[in-house]
Amino acid sequence: MKNRILTGMAVLVMTALLAGCGKVPQAQVDEANAAIEAAQTAQADVYVPADFAALQDSMRAVNAYIEGQKSKLFKKYGPAKENLTKVVALAKTVQESAVARKEEVKKEVETLIESLKGVIEENTKLFPRAPRGKEGAAVLEQMKTEMETVSAASAEAQNLYVDGKYMDALNKLKAAKETADKINNDLKEAIKKVGGRI
Amino acid sequence: MKQGRVVVKLIGRVAIILSVTALLGIAAVIFVPDSPEEEIREAMAALSEASSSNAPLYSRRLFREAKAAYDSAMAAWRRENRRFIYFRDYTGVIAFAKEAAEKGRLAATSSVSGSRNLRERIGSQIKETKKTDSQIERFFGRYPLREELRTRLAKGRLMLREAEVAFKKNQLLAANRKITDAEYLLAEVLKSAMEELKSYFGAYPMWKKWAETSIAESAKNNSALILVDKIARKCYLYNNGRIKYEFDAELGKNWVGDKRRMGDKATPEGKYVITRKYQGKETQYHKSLAINYPNSEDVERFKSDIALGIIPKGTKIGNGIEIHGGGGRGADWTDGCVALSDKDMDILFPLVKTGTPVTIVGSLRKIEDIISAENE
Repeated sequence: MKNRILTGMAVLVMTALLAGCGKVPQAQVDEANAAIEAAQTAQADVYVPADFAALQDSMRAVNAYIEGQKSKLFKKYGPAKENLTKVVALAKTVQESAVARKEEVKKEVETLIESLKGVIEENTKLFPRAPRGKEGAAVLEQMKTEMETVSAASAEAQNLYVDGKYMDALNKLKAAKETADKINNDLKEAIKKVGGRI
Repeated sequence: MKQGRVVVKLIGRVAIILSVTALLGIAAVIFVPDSPEEEIREAMAALSEASSSNAPLYSRRLFREAKAAYDSAMAAWRRENRRFIYFRDYTGVIAFAKEAAEKGRLAATSSVSGSRNLRERIGSQIKETKKTDSQIERFFGRYPLREELRTRLAKGRLMLREAEVAFKKNQLLAANRKITDAEYLLAEVLKSAMEELKSYFGAYPMWKKWAETSIAESAKNNSALILVDKIARKCYLYNNGRIKYEFDAELGKNWVGDKRRMGDKATPEGKYVITRKYQGKETQYHKSLAINYPNSEDVERFKSDIALGIIPKGTKIGNGIEIHGGGGRGADWTDGCVALSDKDMDILFPLVKTGTPVTIVGSLRKIEDIISAENE
């Protein structure tokens, strides 16, 4: 009888040893994954790519740590829990940064759309006053064609803006604005040259 | 005594059990398979390095493979961890992790060199495309390009700017897409426009002949001659076969090619004479010299064009071509006339008379000479 009790105790000790003394913080892992997903939904990979990559690295490290503990006889998930808390906080920060940066780009796009619209309107008014082109009618025709291309690019950029693709819209608008500004300067110079008032 | 033996026996058994347990414990620790943490850590570091080297952008395939290998390693690790601890085999995990580390490192290296090369290539493509654009500007800035070419030129220029914007932001892939399109469009415009110009210069032998005979006649007759070079935008006054004056000239809006009909805004090419001189209230352009466009050759060609259907029936040949003042605008703005500044007209006007020959040619120089001079 005593032998059986002692054997039972030994088995219990072994089981306890084998089972380890920790439990995977699954709820926290899920929370961290959800926070990372939320950051990605906020387009952190587009607007703050370096921060987002760092966040992914952190989560990868936590996952590796957890699997590492699972491979051991004596498991210790305390540090994983701490790191998961940090990952959740970091994910929130990254998400906020992405939202802020996106808003910044959005505002920049809005400003550019408005200022480009202004230059397009001004150029439209300047064209009839231009002395048949700065260096010739051919130049004036080319300027007009370029302004048509600028207007088309502006419309395209506005569609990108509506679709929320602010980064793509921004590049397009900057290029269009540079072209429109150059034409504006050329037209003003040409008008001035023939004694016109700007 | 008997009780003492029992106690001793019991202690002995406990000692045996404890020893066995201890041995088992030690064995339990010893025989636990080594965890692949080190290999996973290396793979993670390589992935992280690849990621910060922009491998997801510039070494896509390698990075994707490295990431897939890492994910496989983690999946295999999880799978093995679900098995009884002593039955776990991490060989597969280690193999995947090593593959991930190797490919991650390769991705990082290739991304760094790839993006550097791409940056250099885009930089030189932008430079070359700008060169093409300035060549177009130099040769065709005042050349009335066809609408299709104008549109392509405008698109090409805008794309060039977009490429520059992306390049400045180090968005190399976007810059690469834009510069490739811009390069293609502008090169096509230059090629097509150059072909058109060369085709225009098909008439060069005739222009040369006209100019040479006109100058020879001026020398022979000791008379004045007005010679207009359309490409150079120059109007020369010859006397006795020698240049006396050189004036800047402005032409018809659609100056390339010979005038074929009324309203085509082209400046005619051929040998003409002054038919009448106007000044004061007789002309709206300060002073003017009317020429005999259309001459007999113009009329003949016009009739042939109508017969061939090149020009629709009912079209008129046009008239009223003059050399007049009002120029100096730096523009090709006339409806086909040759415009000089009023000051130049004041010089020219008294030196010519009704009957003075006026020869208008596309160019006095060969196209090759013009191109090489422009390139210099």
